[in-house]
Amino acid sequence: MKIVGVCACCSGIAHTYMAKDAIVKAAQAMGDEVHMETQGTIGVEDELTAQQIAEADCVLLCVDVHIEGTERFKDKKVMKIPTGLAIKAPKQVISKIHEELRKTL
Amino acid sequence: MAEEVKRTMKKVGIKAPILTAISYLLPLVVASGLLIAIGNLTGGQNVSTLDGITIPDALTTIGVFGMGLLPSFIAGYIAYAIADRPGLAPGFLMGQVASFLGAGFLGGMIGGIVAGYIALWLETYLKVPTWAQALMPMMIIPTLTAIIAGVLMVFVLGGPIAAITAALTAFITGLDYTQRLTTGFILGLIQHLDYGGAISKVPNLICDGMMADGIYGPEAVKVLGSMVPPFGVALALVLSKFVFKKPIFKLSEVENIKVAFPMGVCMITEGVIPIAMNDLVRTVISTALGDAVCGAIAFSMGVESMVPSGGMFVVPMMTNPGWALVALAAGSLVTALLLILLKRPLKPEEIDDLNVEQVEEEVDLSGLSFS
Repeated sequence: MKIVGVCACCSGIAHTYMAKDAIVKAAQAMGDEVHMETQGTIGVEDELTAQQIAEADCVLLCVDVHIEGTERFKDKKVMKIPTGLAIKAPKQVISKIHEELRKTL
Repeated sequence: MAEEVKRTMKKVGIKAPILTAISYLLPLVVASGLLIAIGNLTGGQNVSTLDGITIPDALTTIGVFGMGLLPSFIAGYIAYAIADRPGLAPGFLMGQVASFLGAGFLGGMIGGIVAGYIALWLETYLKVPTWAQALMPMMIIPTLTAIIAGVLMVFVLGGPIAAITAALTAFITGLDYTQRLTTGFILGLIQHLDYGGAISKVPNLICDGMMADGIYGPEAVKVLGSMVPPFGVALALVLSKFVFKKPIFKLSEVENIKVAFPMGVCMITEGVIPIAMNDLVRTVISTALGDAVCGAIAFSMGVESMVPSGGMFVVPMMTNPGWALVALAAGSLVTALLLILLKRPLKPEEIDDLNVEQVEEEVDLSGLSFS
């Protein structure tokens, strides 16, 4: 499965990157291809390419704040969670994504 | 239609816009606060003309300009987070209105929310002919929003908000020593309950707001208190190992503390979260009481901070930095001793947990779905 997503927290220095690490690790452990963009206080890093977004099965937003570029995902299946949840239970979040994706097939 | 409005409002909410605004605001406040602090330390003053201006004067004055932008920043970016781009301009304007009314930070927040929702409402429900579509984000929404929100602010909301701000200022500045002690204790206690998470944001924001309105004591409690949990666990690690010989941390936690301490120096409290998660109640009690002691000492001894962020690096810029260090040390010591006292001593076979698979806590995700 291919997942893309964006992480952004309030101060943009800690939770953003902790969420990214947690999700990437959990998704890779389950055999998914995953690309997470971060919108921290430094700006956008690891920006998603149009191709990555086009190929993705779904979009996972781990965000506590307003993010830029949501229009890129307007035709995609989008799941939105707070960064805290991504850090606390990344594997369960990825399993939930698999489960929801199976439902929609 | 009312239903629809409710749904849009619920989707955007209030919390995410405020958090968004804070994330835009922080760099401005940090830079301005440091400018004022450096300027003041080198003998600068806030000046209004260029006659005989020195570099320290210039720094202080620029910092004060930055602080003056705060109500606009908060209002502008709240409105931006609610209504996207068309909200930005009227939002910034409402911040200026708030400054003018003496409603400060709180006025900026409310002005931003009002402007944002009006702009969002117009975006959603105002139908114009196709030829006028292009004018919507450029002219129609910003102008109409500014008119409606501005009139609301000036004639309805401004007065009460300014009164609340003034009352709060009078309350804080009018406290005697014992009252300052209790206020500092409570401020410290609630400041970092969940280590920079959602609960902490509320008291943090209140302190930021008071700082923007010229009350710097609570901000010092916030800055110092943010370092107490990481310093406290680090001290607990050292003391438990070398003084009390009571092992209370597993190897994975020791690794976490090694990261949490330098993060704490930079005022990132979040490093403590993994340690707290393993033993939530005991850790939170220990760190909250440590924070409370730190807050009580700092606030009662008149420690003030004009910089909202930066950890140890801004301590020298505070008023009464000596007492700031005392408060910090006392708070960390209280946290460390409480941790050692409250935490269960680990059995030798429990300590090495590095090769054990981490198990996640079960969470309820049934509400999640794709949209």
